[in-house]
Amino acid sequence: MSRTYLAATSVTEAVSALAGGARAIAGGTDLVVGARHGKAPIPQSLVAIHEIDELRGITGSGGGVRLGALASHEEIVDHPVIREHLTALADASAIVGSHATRHVGTIGGNIMNASPAMESGGPLMCLGATITLQSTSGTRTVAVDELFTGPGRTVAESGELLVSVDVPAQPAGTGSCYCRLEYRRQMEIAIVGATAVVTVVDGTVTAARVAITALAPTIRRVPEAEAALVGTDGGRVAADAAAALAASASAPISDVRGSADYRRAMAAVMTRRAIEAAVARATGQSVSIPASPALHGAV
Amino acid sequence: MATVEEPRAAARPFIRPDGKEKVTGVGRYTADMTLTGQLHAKFRYTDHPHARITRIDASKARALPGVFAVLTHEDVPDVKYGGMVQDRRLFAKEKARFEGDIIAGVAATTPEIAAAAAALVEVEYELLPVITDYETSPSSATLVHDAWETDSGDESMGRDGNRLGFSTIVKGDADGAMATADVIVRGRYVADCSHGVPIEPHAVIAQWTGDRVTVWTSTQVPFAARGGVARTLGIPESHVRVIVPLLGGGFGAKCDFHFEGHVAALAKAARRPVKLVFSRHEEFVAIDHRREGITIEIETGAMADGTLVARRGRLAIDGGAYCGEGGFFAQMAAMHAAGPYKITNVNIESSLNYSNNQPSSSIRAPTAPQVCWAVEQHMDELARKLGIDPVELRRRTLIHEGAAGPTGQVFDRLGILETLEKATELIGYGQELPEDEAIGVACGWWPSFGVPSGAYVKLNADGSGVIVTGAQESGTGAVMGLPILAAKVLGMKPEDFAIVYQDTDAGPWDMGSSGSQTTFNNGRAVIAAAGEVREQLLDMAEKELEAARGDLELADGVVRVKGSHDRSIAIAELTGSGAALLGKGSGEAPEPSVGADMSACVGDLGVGAFLAPQLITQAARVRVDRDTGVVRVVDFAAAHDSGTILNPIGANGQVYGGVVMGIGQALSEGTQIGADGRQKNPHLLDYKLVTVADTPRIQIAWVEYAAVDGGPEGSKGIGEPPSVPTSGAVANAITKVIGNQVKQLPMTPERVWNTIQEGSK
Repeated sequence: MSRTYLAATSVTEAVSALAGGARAIAGGTDLVVGARHGKAPIPQSLVAIHEIDELRGITGSGGGVRLGALASHEEIVDHPVIREHLTALADASAIVGSHATRHVGTIGGNIMNASPAMESGGPLMCLGATITLQSTSGTRTVAVDELFTGPGRTVAESGELLVSVDVPAQPAGTGSCYCRLEYRRQMEIAIVGATAVVTVVDGTVTAARVAITALAPTIRRVPEAEAALVGTDGGRVAADAAAALAASASAPISDVRGSADYRRAMAAVMTRRAIEAAVARATGQSVSIPASPALHGAV
Repeated sequence: MATVEEPRAAARPFIRPDGKEKVTGVGRYTADMTLTGQLHAKFRYTDHPHARITRIDASKARALPGVFAVLTHEDVPDVKYGGMVQDRRLFAKEKARFEGDIIAGVAATTPEIAAAAAALVEVEYELLPVITDYETSPSSATLVHDAWETDSGDESMGRDGNRLGFSTIVKGDADGAMATADVIVRGRYVADCSHGVPIEPHAVIAQWTGDRVTVWTSTQVPFAARGGVARTLGIPESHVRVIVPLLGGGFGAKCDFHFEGHVAALAKAARRPVKLVFSRHEEFVAIDHRREGITIEIETGAMADGTLVARRGRLAIDGGAYCGEGGFFAQMAAMHAAGPYKITNVNIESSLNYSNNQPSSSIRAPTAPQVCWAVEQHMDELARKLGIDPVELRRRTLIHEGAAGPTGQVFDRLGILETLEKATELIGYGQELPEDEAIGVACGWWPSFGVPSGAYVKLNADGSGVIVTGAQESGTGAVMGLPILAAKVLGMKPEDFAIVYQDTDAGPWDMGSSGSQTTFNNGRAVIAAAGEVREQLLDMAEKELEAARGDLELADGVVRVKGSHDRSIAIAELTGSGAALLGKGSGEAPEPSVGADMSACVGDLGVGAFLAPQLITQAARVRVDRDTGVVRVVDFAAAHDSGTILNPIGANGQVYGGVVMGIGQALSEGTQIGADGRQKNPHLLDYKLVTVADTPRIQIAWVEYAAVDGGPEGSKGIGEPPSVPTSGAVANAITKVIGNQVKQLPMTPERVWNTIQEGSK
C-alpha cells in the first residue's frame, strides 16, 4: 500500500482529497505525536492544509472574531479582540502544551481532535462559537456545543474540513475565564478544567455559561451551574454553589493523573475560580492572561 | 589550605569546549550516526512480567523478508552478568522476571520490519505470581530467582531467596539508649521509584571487523560496557572497542553494561552493522536503571537539649528483578538513615529485595534523596516535639571535625555547619511570609569514591597540548574541566588543550561518569600526567637557560627563572625541538583518613565510612495552594561543602541541575506501577519532569575547606549531592504550611491535598 501526501493550496483541492479518503494535517501536534505514541499510525493518505491561504488569520468584527482553521494558539493569545472580549479563549490557548506547540498547533486541529481534555473547547462552547465545515457537497455550520460526541469523536463526516470558527460578540458586561488544574507550568494537559462566561448588569448576573473539561467523555456544559448563577451577585457564595453543581455533574475517572475523588473535588475548585475570575473581568477588574497560573498563586 | 576564613583567589570561569556544538545542533550523538549497510535492531520483550518460558520459536520471524538475524538465549553463550551478583543473561532463558526482560533481538533492514519480526517470535509462558510488593517479597513463597544460590556474587551481600542484600549499621546499644530518651519520634515513609530520564534515549551501534567489534554507544561507563561485551560474548576485552559519541545526559540511567552485548551479537550474526535506538517508552520500561522505591521506618530518641541518643531504622529497598550495579544499596541507604548527625547509639537494618519490578541501579546519588527526605522530615518532627527550632536542632546535632559518624568514623575538618548557616542566610530563614508560604531546611551527605583512573598528557610541536583520558563526559562538564588542571601544572591556558576521550582503545581504564568521581580521580591522574611532562620541560629548559632546576617555574606559556622573567624560553619553542613530550598518570586513590569500626555491622560493602564526605544544606521556600495541593517552589538556596571548587561555572551548573531534578523528584515525578507489574506512566506526558517555567531562583554558596582525603587541591565530588536534600527541604516547607507531613514521595498535588483533608478531619 502506497502512502500519498498532497499539499493542497485551496480548500476545494483539500476537500476533494478528503472525499478520496485522505486525512487532513496542519500542525501535526496531535496526529504525529499520537502516531509516535502508538495511538494510531499516520494515515496512509494525508492532505496537508497548512499552505491554504484562505484558512489563515483571525478577523475581528465588533467584539467577535472569525478564526481561520490555521489560526495558531499563539495568534489567538495575541489577538486584541480575543484578549479583551473573549478572554477565556485566550486563557486556554495560552496554556496549550509548550511555546513550540502553541506556535505550530492550530485551532482547527485542536477542535477536530476532540480530546475531552482540550483547552479551547470549553471557552468556545461557552462563548457560543460555531464552526463551518466544508466538503465536496457544500458547507454547514455546527455549534461547538453540539460538535463533540465522545473522546476523539465529532458530528463531522470524514469528508468534511473545518474551515473557520466564528466566535460571536458577547453582551456588554460579559467576562469569561478558563481555568485549569496544573501540576506544572508548561507541557501540561488538563486534569481538570473549567470555563465560565458571565454577564453582570448592575451587580447581578444576567447570563451565565459554565463548562467542565476532562471530567466527562466530552467537554460539556453544566446547565444546573449556569442556572444557579443567574440572578445572584456572582460572589463567593454563588460561585461555590455553582461549583458544587459542576462537581456533581462531572463523571471523572481514576487514572494515573488523579483519582476520581480528587478530580471531583478539583472540579469544584476550578469552576469556582473560573466563575470568580469571569465575574471580576465582567466588572472591570484585571485578571492576567492566562488565568490559571495567576489563580494558582504562582509567580 | 583554602578556607572560608582565608578566601583564595576565585578560580577563573572556564567555558566548556563542547558547549557550542551541543547548543547549536552541530554535535553528533550515537543515534545520529549511520554506517554503510546498517541494519536496525528491535527487541521482543516478554509478554508477562513474571512467567516461566516454556517455548520460544523464532522461525516465522527469521523467515520475514528483510530480517538478517533473530537471536534468543540459544544463540549466545550461556553467560550471566551483573554487578555484585551475576543473575542476568542477555536474553531471558528459563524465566522472564520483569516487564522489560528481553526474549529476542532482531536485526532487519528497517525498524518497521525489525518490529514486525519481533512480534512474530512465538513465545509460550507459564504465568507466575507477579511480586510488586518489594517490602514483603522476602517472605513470599514465589522466588524471583529460583536458583539464586547458584548465581555467583559478593559473599558480603547476605543473600537469601528474594533478599538480594542485607546490611546493618550498629553502634552502641540503641534499644537501651532509646529507653532513656526524653522524647521519641517514629515515622514511616514510602518513596516511589523514579527515573533518571536523560533526554537522549539509549542508542547503540555495533560493527565487526573480523573478530573485533567496535561499539558506539550512549553509555556513561565505556569500560564497563567493554567488559560486559567481552564477558557475554566470550571474547577478549582487546577485541572490543567502545566509543561514546556525544552523550545526551545520563543521570545514572546509562551506567552499567547493558544493550551493547545484544547489538554486538546481532551485528555478528547479521554480518552487518546494527543500530539500536530506544523509544521513550523503552527508555522508561526496558532499561535496568531506575531510582529504587524505598520504605523507611525510623525512630529517634533525644534528650531535652536535642542530643540524639538513639536511632533505630528499618528500610526495605526495591531491588527489582536483577541486581544490576545496585548491590550496595542496602548499606548506602542505611548510612543515609543515620545521616550526617552525631547519634550515640544506632541500629539500622536495611534490606534490598528482589521483586518483579524493573531493576534498580544508580540514579544520581542512589538511595540518598529518598532516605534523606524521610530522615529530614523526621528531624523536623523531633524538633517540634522538643520545642527547638529545626535549624537550631541541626546546629546542635550535625557532625563536625572530631565528631564520630554512625560507624565511628572520626571526621576531619568539614563544613556542614557552615552550609547550614549559609543556606538559611541566603533563603532568609525566619522572615515573615504569607500564610500559604514557608521555608523548609534539610541537610544531607554523600561520599566521594576513590578509584583508579588514568590519563596521558602530550604536547604538540606548536606548544598546544592533548589530554587523553579514559574518563567519560556525561554532560556534567567534568571531563571538559580537565584542561584547567593540566594547564595549571604546565603554566599554560586551559584553552591550549584538546581532549581525546570516550574511546576505550585510547584512554586508560576508568570507572566512568558515575559516583561523582571524574574530577576526584581522573583529575589526579591528569595532574600526575602533566607533572611528568613538566619534568620533561624542566629537563630541557635547565640546559637551554643554564639555570638550576629549583629556580625555574612554568607560567604564561614559558619556562622562566623565578624573579628574572627575561630569562625564559617559550614552551612552544621547547616542543618544537621534536622531543617527545608525553606523560602518564594515575594518581593514588585516597583512603578515608580515619576509618570506621564495622565490627558490629553485617553486610559491609565498602560504604560504611565516607571518603571525603560531601555535605549539603538546602533550603526551599514553597507556596502551597491549599485548595488543590499544588506546591510551587518559589525560592531556593543550596550551600555545599564539596571541598575546593576548581571550576565555579561547572560546579554551579551541577547544583542548578541537581536542584531542579530534586524538585521534580519531590513533587511531580515518580513511576506508578500497576498490580500487574507494569509501569503506568512510561512517557513524558504523565511522568512529569519539572520544566524551566517551574524552576525557582536558586542561590548557591560554597564552603571551601580543602579535604585532606580529597581529590585535586582538596576537592570532593559534586555531581550527585545537589539532589540529595532537595525533597527533604521541600517536604519540611510543605509541612510548615499545612501542618502535617506528606509521607509519600513524590508529594504530588493529590497526596498533599489528601494530607490537608486528613488534617482537617
